[in-house]
Amino acid sequence: MVVSFIAYIAGASAFPIASENLLPWSVWFLIAVIVNIVLWSSVMRLLTFSLAVIWFYAFVAGLVPESSTAVNLTELDWSDPEAVAEQGALVFNGKGQCAACHTVDTSAPPGRCPDLTDIGTNAATRVPGMDAKAYLIESMYQPANFLVPGYGKIMPEVWKAPIALSKLEIEAVIAYLQSQGGEIDPTPFDEPIDRADAGATADALPPLLTGDSELGKKVFVDAACISCHAVTGIESPAAGETTNEDFEDVTAPDLSEIAAFNDMRYLEESILVPGAQIVSGYGAVTVRAKGTTFQGTLVSQDEEKIVVRTKAADGTEEEHTILLSEIDDEPIEELTNLKARGYFTLTLTPADADAPVSGQLVSETDETVTLKVGEENQTFSKTDVKMQMTLVDYDDEETVGEHVSGTMDDFEIVLIIDRTEETYDPFDYQSGTMTRASGKRLLVTSPMPENFPIILSVADLTNLLSFLSTLTGATAEAAEETEDTPAE
Amino acid sequence: MKISKKRLYLILGCVLVFYAVLAIAPAFAQDMTEAEYRPFPVVGSRTAAWIAAQLHLLFGSFILGVPMFAVIIEFIGWKTKEERYDRMAQEFIKLCMGAFSTTALLGGVLVFILIWCYPKVMSKLSGIFGPTMIFYVILFFGETFTLYLYSYGWDKMQGRHKGWHLFLGVLLNVWGTAIMFVSNSWLTYQTSPATQHGIISEMRKKSWVEEKMAADPSLTPETVMEGVTSHTMVPLHNETTGEFMATVWDAVNNFTWMPVNIHRLIGNIAFGGSIVAAYAAFRFLVAKTKEDKAHYDWMGYNGNFIALCGLIPLPFAGYWLGREIYMFNNTMGINMMGSLFSWLFIIQAVMIGVLFIGANYYLWSGMGRIDGAEIYARYRPYMIIVIIVCVAIWMTPRTLSKISTASELSAMGGANHPHLGSFGLMTAKNTAVNIIILTTFLSFLFYRRSGKTPTASWRTVGNIVISALFFFAVVSIVVIGIVGFAVPTDFRVNVLTPWQVVIAVVVMFAVTVLDALMYRRAQTSGTIKWGEMTDRSQYVLILLAITFTSLMGLMGYARSGLREQWHVFGVMPDTSPDAFTPPLSEAVNMVAIIMVIFFALVGFIFWLGLWGEKKKQTAAPPAEAEGVAQGDD
Repeated sequence: MVVSFIAYIAGASAFPIASENLLPWSVWFLIAVIVNIVLWSSVMRLLTFSLAVIWFYAFVAGLVPESSTAVNLTELDWSDPEAVAEQGALVFNGKGQCAACHTVDTSAPPGRCPDLTDIGTNAATRVPGMDAKAYLIESMYQPANFLVPGYGKIMPEVWKAPIALSKLEIEAVIAYLQSQGGEIDPTPFDEPIDRADAGATADALPPLLTGDSELGKKVFVDAACISCHAVTGIESPAAGETTNEDFEDVTAPDLSEIAAFNDMRYLEESILVPGAQIVSGYGAVTVRAKGTTFQGTLVSQDEEKIVVRTKAADGTEEEHTILLSEIDDEPIEELTNLKARGYFTLTLTPADADAPVSGQLVSETDETVTLKVGEENQTFSKTDVKMQMTLVDYDDEETVGEHVSGTMDDFEIVLIIDRTEETYDPFDYQSGTMTRASGKRLLVTSPMPENFPIILSVADLTNLLSFLSTLTGATAEAAEETEDTPAE
Repeated sequence: MKISKKRLYLILGCVLVFYAVLAIAPAFAQDMTEAEYRPFPVVGSRTAAWIAAQLHLLFGSFILGVPMFAVIIEFIGWKTKEERYDRMAQEFIKLCMGAFSTTALLGGVLVFILIWCYPKVMSKLSGIFGPTMIFYVILFFGETFTLYLYSYGWDKMQGRHKGWHLFLGVLLNVWGTAIMFVSNSWLTYQTSPATQHGIISEMRKKSWVEEKMAADPSLTPETVMEGVTSHTMVPLHNETTGEFMATVWDAVNNFTWMPVNIHRLIGNIAFGGSIVAAYAAFRFLVAKTKEDKAHYDWMGYNGNFIALCGLIPLPFAGYWLGREIYMFNNTMGINMMGSLFSWLFIIQAVMIGVLFIGANYYLWSGMGRIDGAEIYARYRPYMIIVIIVCVAIWMTPRTLSKISTASELSAMGGANHPHLGSFGLMTAKNTAVNIIILTTFLSFLFYRRSGKTPTASWRTVGNIVISALFFFAVVSIVVIGIVGFAVPTDFRVNVLTPWQVVIAVVVMFAVTVLDALMYRRAQTSGTIKWGEMTDRSQYVLILLAITFTSLMGLMGYARSGLREQWHVFGVMPDTSPDAFTPPLSEAVNMVAIIMVIFFALVGFIFWLGLWGEKKKQTAAPPAEAEGVAQGDD
């Protein structure tokens, strides 16, 4: 019995008792235990009893579901995409730790991150102009680039430490995700990151907190963070009770559980550079559509429309749905940092073309800009474009044309309108603006003031971070489960 | 010359071992150049290191835990002038002596395996922790010689030297605790390296400048240090190579170091107590005389009492450790409780349920040897029901998605059971745990009262007050638990749960004081008949010891497995074939093998003690009968 017990536990191949036939083997083992206890001496009974207890725990552990991080991907056989997807599922549920936050089951309780049922098809609809695979690649390598509305910046960059998935593993996961309602695309891709880049080892890890969380709590109230951010257990002070009045009263994310799902670096960044990452549903936006300006909070956004919540002077709130196509074109004087300035479409006239070209802004460098015109991407030089000039007369009527010569300081201005050169007298116009292009823009900014680095001392900041790190909410609940942990 | 059978077996055994060494030796004849990993023959590196480390830890835990309560028992014996306590403490230390050299031996084996199989890891760790390793050796010498003095000087240092002897006992514990703290720093650094960021020190400033200039030659020391103040936080590891760039103290004082220290300190007491109780149970079962049975019955009772004293505060230390893991890295925390290891905590609940049921059963069995204890028997069925229900709640998983079919999920309307799912929430579990602890305390109270009749004039009022306190505690804890379903998590975790614990602790304390006063001059109607314990109850003590050991093995797997594919989490990746966390069933099987080896070794050491004792007894007339056959606890 002893030999068979050890052989079983060790999973010895000569003793083919695996978990699939655990039950018959267990019955046999129990019979052996009973026989031994009845027949043998007290020492042997003790031994039998001890082995039976050890076996019992092994048996119970064999019954519960389990997962392992064991993945050994050395190559992917793309001739069988389904097999690649299966390997991806192993990474998804194991080493990648994706299943810790994502569910792939609409009936499951909501996870910390979006449910990925049908992500194979949904991925193509998340970001305008981005196909499913491109979106999934970006989500794996730079998950913060696009956040699904309603979810914060939670997901780590899985190619970095500590998860550190290899390219093969990421390819397999993408295949698995595509298999969820979509077609697996075996086309190879280049990683959009540089693995040799310094910082790959320590970036994802939080700072050591040396501050005093109690003092930090005071900073949180005094610096008026509480006026906009709710935290369970802290009362918002009445007006005039805080030392910082330099803010607008806006609704900001609840921070009661902020430390549960965000690392300290993110919190630090959010205080020092509030606009670096904006939580979905809380960004401030000013947009002009059909001649009306809407200023408020960006509630949601998809590839066709946005919803903006505005607040009237009397405090009443109203939500406006605005089609992206309805947003007015704005003249652009300088073609620099277009994306950062919120432009998502562009109309320009290349120097060698007669007609202007319009398209969605895909990417840009210092010298060029790439537009999606129709179904294809076209790249244009930022310098070799025809200048446009907009003249506004004293009745606010605008005249727009291709600029040939002259400024508001000269005696005449020559523009080409409808392929015809026209001469204008600057004296008749109140303004004349030279532009290189025009485009629609949607600039989302953080409503949080940017003066915290100035008003907070280093000690205040450290204390504040220390306080924020204690706001674990649901995390504390989970941690609580360890309270029965014995010594290791 | 006639060779006895025993000697023949011994020679045969030696030949077999020699042959095995020769057979395995070629496997070690590998490339001795700068290898990153060298596979351990036959079983593999991870298995070898796992077995050696866990065995070393179990023995270490025993030899660190036992002196803690041995010195307290010795002190009690000294103050009460009851020699039996002194003798029991001495017997504990004898057990400790037997296990001490085995611990050291296993520590050596572990180091050899690590140096052989993981040379680069050991090189990195010794590079960081070199000074602490020297300190460790000094402490080890201190502990060894103090233990020798303490043990061998026991009989000599009686009477007026007793104070000095007790001082040696305390010193032994100081050495032992310090040793554990030092070695804990190595392994906690691996799990939660002080990687992260610290305020820039002079030492780090220099390396920081060099690092940045190497990455960008156009920089100068001045430009690198622009904006860097003494408060600037920088990574404590080189961001490219992972090299540790700060002080030894930065590495030692990492996130999980102190929680693990405290957790292990308390755990060692509980474990030591349970092993001593198991030893006593074994001796009870094989005892031939009434005196022996009485002595080992009494010893088993005390061992179990010590184990319970350690078990009750353990949850709080565990809570702190879990919280620090979350503070260090959220992903790691979520992985522990919500992903990779979530079901492990259900197994843990099964084991802790066994511990509480076993502990209560042992107390009830103990009441069988006390005349006049029968009056409490009528409460047992209700107490059993309460404990079973509470354990069942504790074992209830919150989500069933991993064990349910699609149709079952659909029938339940989600992954949570429509009725029982609520018991999977922490508010229900916390309530259940507090009720279990109170019920166990009630069992102990009944045990204390058995065979005694209070003479205090206010005994009726006292009993009413005690009953009211219990009633108040149970109702409050349950009501708070129900309220916990409806309030925000933060409020529950920070306010309600601590209140449940405070109510339970305060009521237990108040009842203990009242009960002690009420029974101060109690009439004794029946003494404890030590030795008249059932054999079944002794099996329970062994069950408890095995369960404690299993729990330690299992939680060790969790603590170590949390690193996943890292030797040093986030800093030094594991690139060996074992660079993954094995599944639970594999881990439990490994723990089972380790337990078999551990109990075989412990059994061998105890048997040696027994053997030596027999030789002494045959050489000398039997010593005076134990003074515990009849007496109080």
